[in-house]
Amino acid sequence: MLRFIVRRVIGAIPVLFGLSIILFLFLRLLPGDPAEAILGQHATPELTAQIRTTLGLDQPLYVQYVNYLVRLLHGDFGSSFVDGKSVADTFLVRFPGTIELTIGALIFAVGLGIPLGRLAARHPNGWVDGIVTVVSLFGISIPIFVLGYTLVFVFGVQLHWLPALGQSDPRLGIPQVTHFAVIDALLTGRPNAIIDSFSHLVLPSIALGSIPLAIVTRITRASVIDVANEDYVRTARAKGLTERRVDDRHIMRNAWLPVATVIGLQVGGLLAGAVLTETVFSWNGVGSWVVSAIQNHDYIVVQSLILIFATIFLFVNLIVDISYAFLNPRIRYS
Amino acid sequence: MLRARTGSLLAAAAIVFAACGGSATPSPSAAPSQQASPSAAVASAAPSPSAAASASGNGGTLVVGLDGDMVFADPSLVSDGNSLYVAIQVVEGLVGLTPGTIGDVIPVLAASMPTISADGKTYTFTLRTGIKFHDGTDFNAAAVKFNYDRWKAYPKGDLQDNAYYYGAVFGGFGDASNLASVDAPDATTVVFNFKTPQSNFLVSQTLAVFGIQSPTALQKDKADTTPLKDNKYAQGQGESMVGTGPFMFKDWVTGDHVTVVKNPNYWDTAHAAHLDQITFQANLKDSTAKLQALQAGGIDLAETISPADVATAKSSGLQIVDRGQSCNTGYLGMNQSLQSSSGGAATPTIYANKDVRFAVAEALNKQGYIDAFYAGAAKVPQSWLPAGTTGYKAENMPAFDVNAAKASLAKAGLSADKLKIDLYYPSNVVRPYMPDPKSLAQAIAGDLQAIGFTVALKTEDWHGGYVSHATGGNFPLFLFGWTCDWAGADNFLYTAWFGWQNGKPNLQFGWANPQVNTLMTQALQATSPDAANALWGQVQDLAVQDMPTVPIVNSTPPGAYVSKVQGFVGAGNQTELFNSVTIQP
Repeated sequence: MLRFIVRRVIGAIPVLFGLSIILFLFLRLLPGDPAEAILGQHATPELTAQIRTTLGLDQPLYVQYVNYLVRLLHGDFGSSFVDGKSVADTFLVRFPGTIELTIGALIFAVGLGIPLGRLAARHPNGWVDGIVTVVSLFGISIPIFVLGYTLVFVFGVQLHWLPALGQSDPRLGIPQVTHFAVIDALLTGRPNAIIDSFSHLVLPSIALGSIPLAIVTRITRASVIDVANEDYVRTARAKGLTERRVDDRHIMRNAWLPVATVIGLQVGGLLAGAVLTETVFSWNGVGSWVVSAIQNHDYIVVQSLILIFATIFLFVNLIVDISYAFLNPRIRYS
Repeated sequence: MLRARTGSLLAAAAIVFAACGGSATPSPSAAPSQQASPSAAVASAAPSPSAAASASGNGGTLVVGLDGDMVFADPSLVSDGNSLYVAIQVVEGLVGLTPGTIGDVIPVLAASMPTISADGKTYTFTLRTGIKFHDGTDFNAAAVKFNYDRWKAYPKGDLQDNAYYYGAVFGGFGDASNLASVDAPDATTVVFNFKTPQSNFLVSQTLAVFGIQSPTALQKDKADTTPLKDNKYAQGQGESMVGTGPFMFKDWVTGDHVTVVKNPNYWDTAHAAHLDQITFQANLKDSTAKLQALQAGGIDLAETISPADVATAKSSGLQIVDRGQSCNTGYLGMNQSLQSSSGGAATPTIYANKDVRFAVAEALNKQGYIDAFYAGAAKVPQSWLPAGTTGYKAENMPAFDVNAAKASLAKAGLSADKLKIDLYYPSNVVRPYMPDPKSLAQAIAGDLQAIGFTVALKTEDWHGGYVSHATGGNFPLFLFGWTCDWAGADNFLYTAWFGWQNGKPNLQFGWANPQVNTLMTQALQATSPDAANALWGQVQDLAVQDMPTVPIVNSTPPGAYVSKVQGFVGAGNQTELFNSVTIQP
């Protein structure tokens, strides 16, 4: 097992290295110039040239790349062209928001998707299955921003049940200590702050979780139907086990594998979806940061963030692969 | 069991509340209950910002949606609207603006307007006394001198690159600065000595960038540290933005919000803040999200909303910010001498012909654009400057008249192939004077086609070379605009448009009128405001005779707020002070 993990980690290095080169070149091929983004209407050719020199953008591309790589290998993700802030510092402030949102969306998708999938699989092609299929098709085909705006319109603007933006109500004066809004609210010990932080999570989690929900539901359904037709399930029933026991011990245990794979893969999709969700809900996370960095042509921020995203994605996939061994003891890695 | 639990949670909450109100917390909002407050009403201020506004309408937290995040918490290093919007609440300069105006200069930290020497090179200010910075140290002449000396001494690199305004106003840093020296002969007198007279000095100093900060705090927190990622003062990680204003900087979470709290010891008791706290939300970039946040009550006021959302905002009971005087000009640039982007010789264009320029000016239905794209929150320019700027002179601008335009074009006698023209507009941007560049460009193209041109629309990314290609003279006909840095004629006529550089006319237009250049140079160095304004008037007279470019719009970007917000005074330059604002319960 350990050898497997080491091999996978080493295998990730060329992937990340290649990605860093592609990202670096790709971003610089885009029309745009951080110096102009900084200067705005004051961007005369002279001032633009002066700022490009300060930022080192006047140097040949390979020099810029090597400089970037050397700093990266020293653990320095660079600093923003626009506000001079260290990418690592800002990441620590903004990543907690994305983690909370992703966890919220996963809880929504898995917590609802697996029961729905099992429900649909109980009587394939019955009316329950039909409804679940329609709902999941709806979830998969509706764009996040349409769903997001609609949710805010209905539950925020019209009904005033749930807040429309951000992670907490600034009027409550919750000190940001960890930048995890829920944890910061818990630290205050004030019930209104705690309720507030959870209520802020509801709509964005639903918006971001809608696609994974649909996928988890579909895969669970398919997987359960598949396993339910296996000989050993028939044998289990023949032994006289209760339906519930057959379901839990014999069907779900084996049906888990593809479901776990899909959940792992969805994490990558969730990070991508966070870009839209965070913009719609004015969420202070990494997704909305990527958007503003791209608009400002803040290359260093964009390339460092995408590298970090890629690393997280590779890591999550590794975890999923390892989890197979626990979910199904027949799988062994060497 | 459950009841017991809830009870203990409530008890814990009560303890936290008590801690907020009772003990000496660093939160300044708690201070009024312990200190002698400047006004009786303030003494009843809520113990914690979370408490609801009191019956008098005082106190409470106002949540303001900014257009984006601040860049630095040291106002001397910023030139973007978001940073300035926050800074103006916290720092004050020697002079400022009457609320609601863009160019009415009044003394703030100065006791009165300065005396100006006959040669226009020396400005002497008498300062107000008894003012303290937010860190408790004294404001005095030495502090003013310290600040101006500090800016002038900014070294090349990060500090100079970001301190755009000092360089732009005084012509450079160090020895290049036109500000020769600042003297503080006694605690209440400050003398500014210029190398050459500088007629834009007072109006430019109303910018929050020239706000006076506590020398003690600047030194203690090493505010001149570079690179700026290590500069705690500029990054707002601790004591930052230590000024004298009605609000005090509290905290800044990157990408999320900036918080300022009431200054309980504000020197101008008549204008002390009513609010306990303002939270500036920095993450509302999407216009739909911003409108929904207003409607759902997540924010109380949005600095700007999209003109396209004004009707919806009104119908859902929101108040629209009236910004009165505009402080920008959107225009159609015509370039008489096209610069080659590869460095070759410049080539004359059809716009070198004055009749063509007039044909274009007469062809544009400006009021139609305003009705279609600006929700009516804009005016047709009567000159190159917006009304209300110093040096403004109303001119007799060419009116929209298709027949006159056709006649002018016929008079120009262009051959058929010359009537095929390119019109450039920027993409991926919304500007206050240009909320929808593409639609505006299409409408203009339509009007130009109507008089006989064949127009091809071309676009470039605003941050992707559009600005530098426009200012570098690479576009023949282009949409552009200018938002005032300060409401002075020089800022528009000289800085933005017609100022000559290195003995050559501004490359944007290639308008080679030496008389204009001479007049502007004289105006910049005029020894009195009246003399300067007369000269700027002459520049506008010459411009209307020559039509080097067509001003299309002076816009007042709309904002919006919920009806419980009262006392907000909008201004066309978005220099808006929140000390007059209250929240009605």
